[in-house]
Formats: sequence, C-alpha cells, structure tokens
Amino acid sequence: MKSLTLEGLQKTYYDPYKGTQVTAVRDVSLRVEPGEFVSVVGPSGCGKTTILNMIAGFLPHTGGRILVDGTPVDGPGPDRGVVFQSFALFPWKTVLDNVGFGPKMRGVPRAERDRIAREYLALAGLAHAADRYPAELSGGMQQRVGVVRALANEPDVLLMDEPFASVDAQTRLMLQEELTRIWQQRRTTVLFITHDVPEAVFLASRVVVLSKGLVLDDVPVPLPHPRRWDELVEDDAFKTLSAKVLARVRSA
Amino acid sequence: MSATLPPVPIRPTAWQRVQRAWIRATTAWPALRSILPFVPLLAAWWLTAALEVFPKAFFPGPADVVRTFVDLIHKGILPEYLADSVGRLAAGAAVGIALAIPLGVLIGTSRRAHTALWPVLLFFQAVGDIAWLPILLVWFGFGLTTMTFVIVYTVLFPVVLNTVLGIRSVPTDLTRAARSLGASPARVVWEVLLPGALPNIMTGLRNGLGYGWRALIAAEIIVGTSGIGFLMFDARRAGSVVEIMLGMVVLGVLWYAVDAWVLAPIERATGQRWGMVTRDR
Repeated sequence: MKSLTLEGLQKTYYDPYKGTQVTAVRDVSLRVEPGEFVSVVGPSGCGKTTILNMIAGFLPHTGGRILVDGTPVDGPGPDRGVVFQSFALFPWKTVLDNVGFGPKMRGVPRAERDRIAREYLALAGLAHAADRYPAELSGGMQQRVGVVRALANEPDVLLMDEPFASVDAQTRLMLQEELTRIWQQRRTTVLFITHDVPEAVFLASRVVVLSKGLVLDDVPVPLPHPRRWDELVEDDAFKTLSAKVLARVRSA
Repeated sequence: MSATLPPVPIRPTAWQRVQRAWIRATTAWPALRSILPFVPLLAAWWLTAALEVFPKAFFPGPADVVRTFVDLIHKGILPEYLADSVGRLAAGAAVGIALAIPLGVLIGTSRRAHTALWPVLLFFQAVGDIAWLPILLVWFGFGLTTMTFVIVYTVLFPVVLNTVLGIRSVPTDLTRAARSLGASPARVVWEVLLPGALPNIMTGLRNGLGYGWRALIAAEIIVGTSGIGFLMFDARRAGSVVEIMLGMVVLGVLWYAVDAWVLAPIERATGQRWGMVTRDR
C-alpha cells in the first residue's frame, strides 16, 4: 500500500484558437493515505478528469508535484492502475488475456499470468467469462473486467475515472457494492472521480469537493465497510453526509 | 362475453416457404450462395450465343469457352500463365505490404511524419500505376522489374492510407490503458495499434490487391511475355475471341477465390470475431 500526494498541482494550456492561456486546474493539494479510498466530486468542468489524467501520466502537469509514496511520477506507469469510463478493454483479446495484460508486460510467463488472471476474475465472479471476447459481455460485466484488469497488475494506486457512469442504474448499484467489498478485502489506495454525489459518499472513506480547479471541501465518511445500498439508503448518517456534500457541490 | 382473437395463420405463405428452402439449401451447401447468382448471367450469355445474335467468331458461347479452357489446360499453357500471374501478384503484394504497414504505422503515430509525408503520398497516389509504365519501360525495359514495380506501387497506397486511418481511429483510452498497464510505446504498437487498425488494414489490402490484380493484367498486356494478360492480348493478335473471354472469366473467378478463401476468412477470424466490425449475415 502506497500513498498518493498532490502538491500545488496545476494545469494550464494554450488555446490556439482563442490565443489565450486557459487554467483547468488552479492549485490542488491532496493526500490519499495508504489504503484509503478517496472520492473526488465536482460539477463538469471543475478539472477532476484533468487531475486524474495528470496523475495517470496521460497529460503533463504545468505546475506542482505528483508523488506516489514520496516519489515524483513522470508519464504513465504500472504503479498507477486506471479504470476508464469507456472500459477500454482490448476487443481482440479474450477476457483472460485482457486481465493478464499487465503481468504479460512485466514478462510473467503464460501459465503464471493465466493463473493470476483467473484468480482475479474469480474475485469479481467472472471465472465463467474467461474465454469470451469483451464484445460478448454486457456493459456491467465489461467494467468488472476493467476493474479486475487494473487490480491484477497490483498497482500502488488505483485511479478510477467515472467508471460506472455508462452502465445502467441497477448494475451500477451492484458494481458499487462489489467495489466496496473488493476494496475492503485488498485495501488498495483508490482515487475515484465522479459527478454522482451519492456514489462518492457510498464508496469513499473521504470525499473531496472540487470547484473551478480548486479544492472546496474535504468531507470524511466514517461509515463501516463493506457497504450495502439496502442498508445505507435509509441510514441517517449517510443521508446527512450526502446532503452536506451535495450542498457544497451545488454551491460550487 | 369474452372477445376472441382471430386465429394466427399457421401455414406459411409460399414466399416464406421459399425463404425457408433457401436457408436450408445454403446451410447444407454454402457454395450455392456463390454459384446461384451467376446462373441468370450464364443463361443469358448462352442464349445470346445460341441464337447467334452476333457472329459466332465474335461472340462464342459458354460451351466454347469451357472447351478452350480444357484445351489450354491440356496443353499446359493456362496453368503456366496462371502460375506466372498469381506469382507476380503474390510477390508484388508481399513487398508492397511489407513497405506499406510500417510506413502507415509511422505516419499514423507521428504527427511530424504525417505532416512531412502525407502530401507527398497523395501526390504519388494520383500518379496512377499505369502512368508509371512509360518511364518504367525506359528505365527497366520489358521485364519482371517493371511489372513488380507496378504491383508494389499499386498495393502500397491503399494499404498505407488505410493503415494510417486505422491507427488514428484506435480509441485513445486503449493506448492509455496499455501504457498504464506497463506497455512500452513499442509494445503499444504491436499489442494495441496494429490489432486495432487491422479491420482498416484488411480494407486496404482488399482494395490494394484488387487494384494490383488489375494493374498486373494491364502490365502483362503491355510488357508481358506470359501471364493471363499476355494470353488475352496474344489471343487478340490471333483473332481468338474465345481465349479473350476465357481470360476474362479466369480473372473474375480467381479474384472471387482470393476473396472467399483468403480475405473473408481473415476478416471473420479478426474484426468480426472481436465485434469491431458488424458481420455479414
């Protein structure tokens, strides 16, 4: 388990059409403790996806520092696993080979990476789908594979970019419950980006509210894990916290 | 009083029975799908020839062509010419593909390479294969080099252009996913960009081989000493319309075979299997 630290993170880019510098992320400092699950919520355009892309190394940052366990990061790397809203599974690889992709890049031999992949697939109840192609799976199953693929590479930090935004409402609730269960078992450090306030509160041990490229608020969620919707939906503490976060997001 | 719905008709209509017979027949003998569409065409050809609408020497019927086919096979001319043509196409296509795919990857992945090479590529694409023949004949004479050059040239452009298109249409998230799972940029090319571009590369290949096949026949007509194109042109000199027609039929059948036995199976095993391309029914 490793920590993730953002120190005065900044992103400005040049807009060649307007001829001006645009600030997407003004000044964000944030620390995710080892094994902590932090949600980042904010309205669209608040810079949350830009932050994730910078942490993942997909975009260069223009100011500040990104540290994984105290070491600055540069470019994409297997220490930071990413789960995408678009799932981003390789259509030409079976589920097993998708999940075994990270180990394959590390040079793990075939038999061993298949064993690892099957173990992780079993964790998400996907053992039966190992030999299928992604296009043959439902959206919910595809994203389960997406999560498991990132986990199977044993990243120090798991970055999730609105991963459940494109699955149907019922499936989303199930995936959220599964995620809290898996996180509780494995205690990976997670940074979870979403615009869905109940989702942010349900999953996280801490919710960070972002607005206009700045941290607006930082709300701890002291509810026990794993969490279940049928228990929390009528829970007063959950409702109070959700209302509080929602008020902050709407004031943003 | 309860309302009763009218009974659903149970007996299929005549047209539905025809549909069912077609599905059953083509499932049992898939070759029917390839053969049946040609039956009306052959019938029309046969009828036109049999009625002697045109003089027989100018418009021979299917039977004459088949007879010539058997005759030329016996003499060994047709197998030899066929092997020559197909061999030239295969060699030219192999070289063309070997050049085109790396070039397409370079242009598809590097903005600088794209800026530098794309306009040049479009320029040379416009100077079509046959337009090169005059200068090639001056440079290399009537020989294999000239023909190979033409085929390589013809195959190159469709494959390069489609490879570039394919690589550029691979979703950014797929390359990002691979990078964050530990893939080096070089492995991203092999593991993500090439398979992601494969449906487009196949389209390029289909076009390239089609153009190449036509360019080869043209080149054989002009510079050839053997091959199907030469056979046809030589037959013209001898006034043998039967052999010209035979050559035309052979061209079509051969292309159909390449499509059905080489290209289509690859497409079924890749893009269609992966759900990247909708399959034909």
